[in-house]
Amino acid sequence: MFCNRAMEMVRELQRAPQGQLLAFNEDGLRQILEEMKNLYEQNQSDVNEAKSGGRSDLIPTIKFRHCSLLRNRRCTIAYLYDRLLRIRALRWEYGSVLPNVLRFHMSAEEIEWFNHYKKSLATYMRSLGGDEGLDITQDMKPPKSLYIEVRCLKDFGEFEVDDGTPVLLKKNSQHFLPRWKCEQLIRQGVLEHILW
Amino acid sequence: MFVSDFRKEFYEVVQNQRVLLFVASDVDALCACKILQALFQCDHVQYTLVPVSGWQELETAFLEHKEQFHYFILINCGANADLLDILQPDEDAVFFVCDTHRPVNVVNVYNDTQIKLLIKQDDDLEVPAYDDIFRDEEEDEEHSENEKDDGPEPSEKRTRLEGLEEEIVARTMKRRERREWEARRRDILFDYEQYEYHGTSSAMVMFDLAWMMSKDLNDMLWWAIVGLTDQWVQDKITQMKYVTDIGILQRHVSRHNHRDEDEENALSVDCMRISFEYDLRLVLYQHWSLHDSLCNTCYTAARFKLWSVHGQKRLQEFLADMGLPLKQVKQKFQSMDSSLKENLREMIEESANKFGMKDMRVQTFSIHFGFKHKFLASDVVFATMSLMERPEKDSSGTDNFIQALDSLSRGNLDKLYHGLELAKKQLLATQQTIASCLCTNLVISQGPFLYCSLMEGTPDVALFSKPVSLSLLSRHLLKSFVYSTKNRRCKLLPLVMAAPLNAEQGTVTVVGIPPETDSSDRKNFFGRAFEKAAEGTNSRTLHNYFDLSVIELKAEDRSKFLDALVSLLS
Repeated sequence: MFCNRAMEMVRELQRAPQGQLLAFNEDGLRQILEEMKNLYEQNQSDVNEAKSGGRSDLIPTIKFRHCSLLRNRRCTIAYLYDRLLRIRALRWEYGSVLPNVLRFHMSAEEIEWFNHYKKSLATYMRSLGGDEGLDITQDMKPPKSLYIEVRCLKDFGEFEVDDGTPVLLKKNSQHFLPRWKCEQLIRQGVLEHILW
Repeated sequence: MFVSDFRKEFYEVVQNQRVLLFVASDVDALCACKILQALFQCDHVQYTLVPVSGWQELETAFLEHKEQFHYFILINCGANADLLDILQPDEDAVFFVCDTHRPVNVVNVYNDTQIKLLIKQDDDLEVPAYDDIFRDEEEDEEHSENEKDDGPEPSEKRTRLEGLEEEIVARTMKRRERREWEARRRDILFDYEQYEYHGTSSAMVMFDLAWMMSKDLNDMLWWAIVGLTDQWVQDKITQMKYVTDIGILQRHVSRHNHRDEDEENALSVDCMRISFEYDLRLVLYQHWSLHDSLCNTCYTAARFKLWSVHGQKRLQEFLADMGLPLKQVKQKFQSMDSSLKENLREMIEESANKFGMKDMRVQTFSIHFGFKHKFLASDVVFATMSLMERPEKDSSGTDNFIQALDSLSRGNLDKLYHGLELAKKQLLATQQTIASCLCTNLVISQGPFLYCSLMEGTPDVALFSKPVSLSLLSRHLLKSFVYSTKNRRCKLLPLVMAAPLNAEQGTVTVVGIPPETDSSDRKNFFGRAFEKAAEGTNSRTLHNYFDLSVIELKAEDRSKFLDALVSLLS
């Protein structure tokens, strides 16, 4: 049946947990494009035949193939667009440097798109807030206090605070640090925010 | 040196700095830590908290962190040994030590620059005077130089001879004086350091600081209460000191919680309230059944002699005397008939008096918030203690520390209840072990002390490898033994107890308990005794815990260590 591959790719996305970026399915995409090419060529020859040979009984077949082509296109675009949305969310989650694992999961074009997005976000942030710009990726929820109590869940090593002094993050040590320094590490799961 | 104004010399100094907190692994330290954390969070003081359970961990953690901090706060660790010698800090490191361990090491007391003791100076310290222990070395050198200058002069032989004689006499006098001074110094230091005991709870000291700054809250008061109760549960302070401290806390409690009495402005039932109670000293009785609590509280179990059949019968007589049906008494306390619960305390006290237990009730505090949650201070102490000392798979003790620290916050009630369950298991295991030790006569007299050793295969022996649990077991065992033996001399002996720690390495934990007397001043001489015995026999011991009366020992060296101890103490 046609469009099976495309359906599979869309289902793959649906199965992936919220926000997770799976490896880019190069193979699948290639197969879909091949299928589309085959369908298109078959359609092309049939159309010529129908026009010249007057075979109107081929028209439903042509219509059917055309629908498959449209379906394939729709599925592929949905796949690519959803991945882009996930990659965009990654910027807000991880900051401008992505972990290597994720970078391997993206295709070259997606990486380029990510870089463009990063640049436009940075330009926007610089344009806000006067001279220095405003980092809007911080404080996604309104903060309740300047400093927060965090507990270290794994051995992380040294971590620099604003005035340059390092803090050694060892498992099960607790620290009282400025909120903005800890947010990244909390998202990465190294620190845990303790609520009193 | 002792800090006189806690606010100016301690708090305002660290307020704008980043500090490192070293916290020992006992409930009093945890409570003091909570109070200090609350103060720091109020004032945005950046701190890092590192749990330590012994001297080695203190050293390692210090080495890792010393470049990053200048100010260090030690809670319930570090006062009884020479800190500068052990940690070898830089010149500008400052240590604030808030510790209940006494005697405070003389170097810590007389160091003016780097070590600041957060201890009130009248806290029964008896520190020897400075001149008795330290002496300027310079005087001697000057003198000997002068003597050299008075060298031989070629003229006046006779006066030179006389001069020389005088010199020699003066020098011998000086040397003799110096030897006498040193002998006196050794004596003074020996007397001073011979007995270990405990001072005011660190949690109370921290609460005092908070009160001085008018930043004290009901929550902090509760932690101070738990810290004090921990000292009482572990028999670290005398009864009189406990009652005095309760009086001090009682004033604070009435200051914070007076709104209860006024019916019109009473607080909502969800607000946290602390109230003074003159309650039964039965452990966890409101969260357990009355019968279980009577069987597992050391006080009642020892006096009823519950390890014998005769004792069980006496317990039943006791319950019958009060008119409490067995079925009621064996079910959960909260489901007991309310008619029985009404005058329970007075009834039990009366009957207990008849059976020879005069101190059935004890002054303490309880906390309630919401409709369901009511805890006595001792409940919280036992729960937190069990959380902290439960056997764990991962060898670093920090997971337990974190769990125990969390359970002290009111938002983590599930951890507190989990702790209560663990405490019940621990108490049951303690009583069963005591019963088996007494019935199989495992407690033997070695002459100057009693000795008991738990074998490797004993059930629940893993619960007793940590210092606090083992000390609690030993103390209860000694109390029960005193009631079970007819030998009058044995009743006055101290106890040394050993339990297996690590089967692979072949180590045992050994703890020494002072003798059980009515007016005991809780001073423990086993710390120094263990040290001397270990030195004398070259046994492989590890004096790692902050309480010097608990050590780790290689099982093979056990017999020679004990022999040395016997000869030392007799």
